[in-house]
Amino acid sequence: MNLERLPNEEKLTLCRKYYFGGFAFLPFLWLVNVVWFFKEAFVKPTYTEQLQIKTYVKRSGLGLLLWVAVLTTWITIFQHFRAEWGEVGDYLSFTIPLGIP
Amino acid sequence: NIPSMSTSDSEEDSYNERTALVASEIPSVPSYQQDPDQPQPADMEPRRRTVAPEPAAEPPSLDRSAVEREPVDLEEEEELPLKYGAKHVIMLFVPVTLCMVVVVATIKSVSFYTEKNGQQLIYTPFTEDTDTVGERLLNSVLNTIIMISVIVVMTIFLVVLYKYRCYKFIHGWLILSSLMMLFWFSFMYLGEVFKTYNLAMDYPTVAMIIWNFGVVGMICIHWKGPLQLQQAYLIAISALMALVFIKYLPEWSAWVILGAISVYDLVAVLCPKGPLRMLVETAQERNEPIFPALIYSSAMIWMVGMANPARHAEPTNQDTGTFCLISAYNPLALTMLRGVKLGLGDFIFYSVLVGKAAATGGDWNTTLACFVAILIGLCLTLLLLAIFKKALPALPISITFGLVFYFSTDNLVRPFMDNLAAHQFYI
Repeated sequence: MNLERLPNEEKLTLCRKYYFGGFAFLPFLWLVNVVWFFKEAFVKPTYTEQLQIKTYVKRSGLGLLLWVAVLTTWITIFQHFRAEWGEVGDYLSFTIPLGIP
Repeated sequence: NIPSMSTSDSEEDSYNERTALVASEIPSVPSYQQDPDQPQPADMEPRRRTVAPEPAAEPPSLDRSAVEREPVDLEEEEELPLKYGAKHVIMLFVPVTLCMVVVVATIKSVSFYTEKNGQQLIYTPFTEDTDTVGERLLNSVLNTIIMISVIVVMTIFLVVLYKYRCYKFIHGWLILSSLMMLFWFSFMYLGEVFKTYNLAMDYPTVAMIIWNFGVVGMICIHWKGPLQLQQAYLIAISALMALVFIKYLPEWSAWVILGAISVYDLVAVLCPKGPLRMLVETAQERNEPIFPALIYSSAMIWMVGMANPARHAEPTNQDTGTFCLISAYNPLALTMLRGVKLGLGDFIFYSVLVGKAAATGGDWNTTLACFVAILIGLCLTLLLLAIFKKALPALPISITFGLVFYFSTDNLVRPFMDNLAAHQFYI
């Protein structure tokens, strides 16, 4: 899909759909939104819909940062305390490393 | 532990994902010259292998200049397809190489995909654990016959569906198979990678990863998404499929199947009654844009612009380099373009060949030899495409070279090199 080819209203619709889609636990979608529409929002010369696209990109960026923070915290906690949690730790584990640390 | 049934669905789909390269609609320059003479369908002719036209800037300028200057040098005209050809070859090399690299890297590091635990696909019911060599050979041939018949049946089914315009069914089938690939196979893959590197991972994080990977993949492939991401997903899907094949196909059956599939590809695409050829022709007659599913395109082009000859004057509508991996489901998608389209099935089988060479070949020489062989085959195929300008099968030449190189390297070059090394004799 080449953004260059699309008329501005369609770009806006696409950006908006990606933004709303990201609320379904999809920070990756927000990342794609930010990267893909970055040029459109911040580099290109102004056009009518650009302001709205900018807002969506900014909000997607914020959402993304939030998710990254949450995930990093959770992963750090899990990795650190997994052994200590005993049964709960095993229950939560998808793979359990073998051997003695 | 994967029950063979679950993989069977994907098998079917992957078989449907075979495709040939579709001839591309060579850039409008020649057609401008021939416009008065040629009927419209001729423009759409090269479908199967679409050689991707060059990246953005060039075609428009070429088109315009073609329109402007009437008497075009015959030599220039001939040069252009070849110029396009070289670029397209390079453009195809990258994804094919990437796919193969991913498969080989996984095979070499994650032992899961090379472990044989006796589980086989239902399509290859005969075991290779036999007492005599003769029996083993017989079983592989029988396995191959079954597998190829399944493929033939599926392809014919697909052609029938397309002829009777059951688009919804095809679309649904496509979605289901990509769902399976994106979620189930990648889940398995991730699990095995974590086990190999002995990392702890919890269910919530894994769920997030797979959910994101899968949903964004579905969006990019079936709806709208950035081009590079779509290409990356198609490469990922092909690699996953190839890995499944490498794991679940028994040793000898795999090689025989590779050979048989190349022959089938040749027949299906070139024979007038071949299913794939009929598919292409039907789509051409209908002049329809086909759903994009599983099209690897280097640029987005939708046929619609091309269908109308009057539009030729608007070069901006035409896309540039597209190289589409088209799955057999949609060889049609090619219709438009200018671009080389390489089917996902082709990617998969190339990777299977190189992956098996890496798994069983012993050392890197064999793997590299197969890799080079496939690329040479691809070059030759594209050359033929530029010459014949019609749909051509992508598998035969590459697979033949690959098989020849594999068996000769394994049995001739390796002992030779080992001996040289043993005697410390450097050449």
